[in-house]
Amino acid sequence: MSRLKDLQKNLFGGTTSNARQFGMIFTLVAIVVLFQILTDGLTLRSDNLIALFQQNSYILILAIGMLMVIVAGHIDLSVGSVAAFAGILVAKSMAEWDLPWPVAILFGLAIGAIIGAWQGFWVAYIGVPAFIVTLAGMLLFRGGNQFIGNANTIPVPEGFREIGSGFLPEFGPNTGYNNATLLLGLAAAVAVVWREIQARKTRRAMDADPAPMWISILRMAIMVGVIAFASLRFASGRVGTSFPISGIILLVLVIAYSFYTRNTAGGRHIYAVGGNSRAAELSGVKLKRVNFFVMMNMSVLAALAGMIFVARSAASGPQDGNGWELDAIAAVFIGGAAVSGGIGTISGSIVGGLVMAVLNNGLQLMGVGTDRVQIIKGLVLLLAVAIDVYNKSQGRFSVIGSLMRPFRREDSAPPASPPDAEREPAKAAVSG
Amino acid sequence: MRKFFGTSVVAISAAAMLALAGCGSGRDGDSGSGGEAAKGFAANSLIGVALPAKTSENWVLAGDLFTNGLKEAGFQADVQYAGASTTVADQQAQITAMTTKGAKVIVIGATDAAQLSTQVAAAHAAGVKVIAYDRLITNTPDLDYYVAFDNFKVGQLQGQALLDGMKAKKPNGPYNIELFSGSPDDNNAGVFFNGAMSVLKPEIDKGNVVVASGQKDVKQTAIQGWKAEGAQARMDQLLTSTYGSKELDGVLSPNDTLARAILTSVKGAGKPTPVVTGQDSEVESVKSIVAGEQYMTINKDTRNLVKETINMVKALQAGNAPQVNDTKSYNNGSKVVDTYLLPPVAVTKANAAEAYANDPKLAPLTK
Repeated sequence: MSRLKDLQKNLFGGTTSNARQFGMIFTLVAIVVLFQILTDGLTLRSDNLIALFQQNSYILILAIGMLMVIVAGHIDLSVGSVAAFAGILVAKSMAEWDLPWPVAILFGLAIGAIIGAWQGFWVAYIGVPAFIVTLAGMLLFRGGNQFIGNANTIPVPEGFREIGSGFLPEFGPNTGYNNATLLLGLAAAVAVVWREIQARKTRRAMDADPAPMWISILRMAIMVGVIAFASLRFASGRVGTSFPISGIILLVLVIAYSFYTRNTAGGRHIYAVGGNSRAAELSGVKLKRVNFFVMMNMSVLAALAGMIFVARSAASGPQDGNGWELDAIAAVFIGGAAVSGGIGTISGSIVGGLVMAVLNNGLQLMGVGTDRVQIIKGLVLLLAVAIDVYNKSQGRFSVIGSLMRPFRREDSAPPASPPDAEREPAKAAVSG
Repeated sequence: MRKFFGTSVVAISAAAMLALAGCGSGRDGDSGSGGEAAKGFAANSLIGVALPAKTSENWVLAGDLFTNGLKEAGFQADVQYAGASTTVADQQAQITAMTTKGAKVIVIGATDAAQLSTQVAAAHAAGVKVIAYDRLITNTPDLDYYVAFDNFKVGQLQGQALLDGMKAKKPNGPYNIELFSGSPDDNNAGVFFNGAMSVLKPEIDKGNVVVASGQKDVKQTAIQGWKAEGAQARMDQLLTSTYGSKELDGVLSPNDTLARAILTSVKGAGKPTPVVTGQDSEVESVKSIVAGEQYMTINKDTRNLVKETINMVKALQAGNAPQVNDTKSYNNGSKVVDTYLLPPVAVTKANAAEAYANDPKLAPLTK
């Protein structure tokens, strides 16, 4: 086997699957490079990267929940309204009942859980389609927001604003960078390297062929390079700014939910239900419980996203949450999820969300008006999904598709076995 | 082996990061922090203008005027409207993008005046001057200037016009009037009302003017959401309850939409047309004034407001302190903002042609 083949198989996975997700990584890189050139280097400047994360963390958080909802074969149209409803209640609870802000955050999450239980109940136990339940919820909670807020804007206290507009603190010696962000980057780099080593060890223990050493090193080098670049960028913002706290919340959620959807039985059940709910039920998956969970989970994340937006805006207003559901749904589909359910990954959705975010940001930096930005975003969404559908129907190998690999799992599957069988058990059922 | 791996992992990562750190430039400190207006900036600098969604003609007109006016003055203009649905988030992102692009001044017509403090703070920290246009941005100590029409004066002009109009129709009092005010959640509504009452109160105390229904409190007179049907319903009620036999001489209405609703109600009841005030120079009301129905409106010429804002930008560019005429009244919750107030103009049938001479849309109506 030639070295090139080796590289292709081991670094990128070498399968035809996931062309869309993979295409998106490629698109993301291309868009970043394109705007970096078009905006004379503004796109990757520290302050812009920081702003980009702050502006979009709440949409990306919604995308996590939405991915799980869509994989399970549902949709949630109510997230924007739920976010606004939770936001106004939390703002009021601090302004009028003088709740301390940490308690108010818990209060907000509890509201999300109650709303989620309400919607989950109708979807899972009564069997009303999620489209209808959440369409009703969209009206219900938007109205609730206006009713409670009286169409007023209610400011929130300083401490609470941290979750939306705060940064990692400054401490330690003056290195010319934000030390906390550097440490975070170092930790991430160590984690990447450690995982690679663990994966190799596991393969050896299982008597499988580990990827050649040089490939592991190349892969690690790319990952560490990206992490180092990003953390230095975030650490070199204006004094007082660094990696945003909302970004940390997002990172924690991405890691936790990625683990849940990939490596736990509960997470795999979501894919099973989305792929073929009847078959899943007959195999012992508790269908109702899974449906209830994804709907409830979505509302909790929506409440969190609402609070982060309110914190960033320093106030809860009557227009909060308008159109968020569409941004989140677009991110998930651009990131490679299937409309019919059963397929999609959290990391793919995050990449999809980032594509939209960078596009939005880059066009704004170029001074393109919102009217044209919307047209462009609409076309990108359509094209991204269309190209993938076309490629899939042609059964073509996609170079782009295999690039997605490192973002999905750090271990490399042996070339002989179908690597996606375990990750997406429902795929055959769906595409068939 | 394990131990070796552990240390090597940290070592490799740290080395990689340090290597990159060597290439990087580090942070540039807070070199950008503003504060000194004395310095000024380059004459062809970028000026950002963030306006709300294009929901009213007024904002579209303002955007065009800013684009052209700033270009004429030699600046690069970046005029952005918020999107129709995600207005606040759009505006936040636009202001941040303008800051990133290195705008020297950002003019903001806030879509929600209380939800921009984070972005204004970031702009201020980057040395950008922030001017609030028409709507005062609240809860931020980082706003530099505010430019708007004098809303208290609007109320005063309305009150005075009401008295003048009634006197012209009927030389001697006492006059029966009714009071209307705007939406209770709009900060400006109270300002209009207080301005008008500052003129009317002395006359009411003298007994020369009588609020026949007795409803004088701003809470009783308020029309939720500035809704025309609300004003019409309230006027209907007042006519039935109070003006069965009495004559209604005048109505204080805070704006044109409500004024026309009030006139509709009076007409429906078959009463003679009272003196009704207004504001905003809406097309329908200007027609009504020329036809002799609505008595007056207020002209807040967007052209002048934009011109004054651009003058502020020019002053900042030259390194001078922009002209302000009110450093006391506009407290946004965190600080008292230096303000330039433009005088509104009262328009009646008598001066309509003159007042709208420069307005391509309204001028033909007055001929």
